[in-house]
Amino acid sequence: MAGSALRRLMAEYKQLTLNPPEGIIAGPINEENFFEWEALITGPEGTCFEGGVFPAKLVFPSDYPLSPPKMQFTCEMFHPNIYADGRVCISILHAPGDDPMGYESSAERWSPVQSVEKILLSVVSMLAEPNDESGANVDAAKMWREDRAEFNRIAEKIVRKTLGLS
Amino acid sequence: MPVILVDRLPLPSLKTYTVISVALLSCSVYYAVQVTSEANWKTNATTPHETVAQASSGKIQDHAFTRVQQAIEPGTIQAELPPLLKAKPTLSVQIAEVVTYMVQEPLCIWTLMNMAYCCLILLGKLIQRVVFGQLRVSEQQHVKDKFWNFVFYKFIFVFGVINVQYLDEVVLWVAWFSVLGFLHLLAQLCKDRFEYLSFSPTTPGWSHARLVGLLFAILLLSGFMFLICIAVGFFDGFNTFAFMAAECVLLTVRTLHVILRYILHLYDMRGSDSGSSGNHEGLARVVAWEKRGPVAYYAELVLELAALLVDLLHHLHMLLWSNIFLSMASLVICMQLRFLTHEIQRRFKKHRNYLWVLNHLEQNYPMASAEELAQNSDNCAICWEKMETARKLPCSHLFHNSCLQSWLEQDTSCPTCRLALSMQSPITRDHGPLDHTLLAVDGGADGVQVARRPPANHFFHFDGSRYVSWLPSFSVEVTHTQLLRADQGPPVQTSQLDAMARQVQQLFPHMPMPVIMDDLRLTRSVEITIENILDGRLVAPPGRRFHEEPSGPIAISSVPTVLPQSAQPSAPDASAQSITHSDSTATDEEPSNLGGRFSKSPSERERILHLRKEQLLQAARRRYLDKQEGSKPSFDSCVVDENVIAPDTMA
Repeated sequence: MAGSALRRLMAEYKQLTLNPPEGIIAGPINEENFFEWEALITGPEGTCFEGGVFPAKLVFPSDYPLSPPKMQFTCEMFHPNIYADGRVCISILHAPGDDPMGYESSAERWSPVQSVEKILLSVVSMLAEPNDESGANVDAAKMWREDRAEFNRIAEKIVRKTLGLS
Repeated sequence: MPVILVDRLPLPSLKTYTVISVALLSCSVYYAVQVTSEANWKTNATTPHETVAQASSGKIQDHAFTRVQQAIEPGTIQAELPPLLKAKPTLSVQIAEVVTYMVQEPLCIWTLMNMAYCCLILLGKLIQRVVFGQLRVSEQQHVKDKFWNFVFYKFIFVFGVINVQYLDEVVLWVAWFSVLGFLHLLAQLCKDRFEYLSFSPTTPGWSHARLVGLLFAILLLSGFMFLICIAVGFFDGFNTFAFMAAECVLLTVRTLHVILRYILHLYDMRGSDSGSSGNHEGLARVVAWEKRGPVAYYAELVLELAALLVDLLHHLHMLLWSNIFLSMASLVICMQLRFLTHEIQRRFKKHRNYLWVLNHLEQNYPMASAEELAQNSDNCAICWEKMETARKLPCSHLFHNSCLQSWLEQDTSCPTCRLALSMQSPITRDHGPLDHTLLAVDGGADGVQVARRPPANHFFHFDGSRYVSWLPSFSVEVTHTQLLRADQGPPVQTSQLDAMARQVQQLFPHMPMPVIMDDLRLTRSVEITIENILDGRLVAPPGRRFHEEPSGPIAISSVPTVLPQSAQPSAPDASAQSITHSDSTATDEEPSNLGGRFSKSPSERERILHLRKEQLLQAARRRYLDKQEGSKPSFDSCVVDENVIAPDTMA
């Protein structure tokens, strides 16, 4: 039922507003639709994405939190675990039933005790440490393994772009 | 494709259409008045009626014609007479004559019908203005699809199934389906709009009121139409009645369904308002909520099944009654039948799953006692709300009954610690086939159907029963060779891994399950993993909140184990470090009036969120430029820097 999902999203929004994790802001794009959020994620320090502010869109299902939301970066991204269209591929966003890559244990998958905050923190750590086994973006995964300097250069370009500086 | 085609047709705008219709109607009225003003018009006028009757030479047709009169007369008389009736008795007589003439004259009937459609469209437009306002794109698309679908199926029905021969019968059916389709479309619109409104907590009350009002109006009208069905059934036999009534009942059931969902939603939202205001009210609400779950579930189930069954019977009736085997129409109906039976089966399976989970919950997991609830001050981890009653899983995690129920319908592990629950209660184990369907329903649930306290023997026995055709029973000892053999089937492997991990965790309760699993996946041996842990090669990552409690039911975790810090740089750890590092630089940039406040007003919330985003971006930009400046000073970065700071200090 959408009612309980709505209440839970409201609670999460409140919590994210009152105790925001550092460098992360998330909330509904429009109060008329609480099931579509925009999140801003600051690139983790000490990584090639350091300093960037990456916008992403979160779309929640009507039976949230029983099913995971979908997350998609709305800026240009180049990362082994992010598809070219911005969709994020991490295990926490996969429902326990489906296993597209066939290697994730159910322990890492979605469960209703997860939350927007945890998803975003996982995405931050994913930015810091890509998992080049799951190739959402094969080119990026390959470059990450073989040509780190070039990868860093592209990441730097994206960071500048998200800051509106280039 | 037909939809696109129609979009391109040069259809006149609603305004021109209305003007044309009104002009046509006034022409025909004028004509009728002219004719009836002659003294002996009645003798002339009977001729067309008779010729039509002769031409069609059917009894039914005659019958139908009188029905046209019955159907059209009340409407038009009501529309035109009341203001004039009081003026003059002779005038009213004259108008009655005009109307009877118009009903008999074919040309006038067409203009009248055209006018009726025009009125229907105008009414629809009016309702849309008043209740819905601007339609969203998806709603428009839905209505369009539904409309063409309806037209398509009714076309098949009229010309394929009941095979109407005479024009006036067609006209009658078309009139009937127009009204019905109109109501169907309205109901569909209401449903879409309701679903959209339920996505927002801040919808004003009056838009709910209008929508519910419209829904009730549809309900009333569909009841009225059902009465018409009964009346027609008296004249025309059971088949016609059944055909007509099926759609009516369908409309009624669908409308009721939307109304029910709506009321439940409003109830939920009202609950959330009162829940925040006071503790006592919150308590009353949660109690009501617990009762609400099954009631709502069964009401939904009954309505959904009723709609599907009525639809199914309707289609079966069409197929069997009208002898249309081996025709296009029968093909279409068979396809629809197939879809409907599939849906009904799916619904039944879902319901069986529901019952089974319910049963399982009640038998295996006790309600938490009052003191357990008192000890556990947390909210329900699924809905984040306070728990007044709760069920307790073997891993001693507490959840609301209804929350747990809906989660277990799709997965069989504890949401918090991922302990695989034995969804194999002693009673249902006797019913082999039921288990199989259930496992099929929830997608095998990862194949992690491990017994709670696994003596390995038990566990493998269960797996054998799942793959009874080709797996014998496994021996108690887990040896290397057996594992390699098990690699052939991936589901078996995961469940074995799980069992092995559980073995390890019984020995080392502080180790989180995922870490053990990861290591086991590498070593493929319980012994080696145990050695790894004993030698300190495998360390529990610090700060993983949800694995602090041991999930093994044997191990009792009263002692918080002291974990060696930062041996394995796990992912959340890294982000935590970066956060503490950047803390000092960031805090002074964020004004306090934006951070710790969650406004009650939606527009203010939106504004604050927007401001916070701006600030984050500005701060990040400034930091970035500062850093670049630090590494290689240049002119232009200084200039940009000043520009950036200016709006920030203003805010």
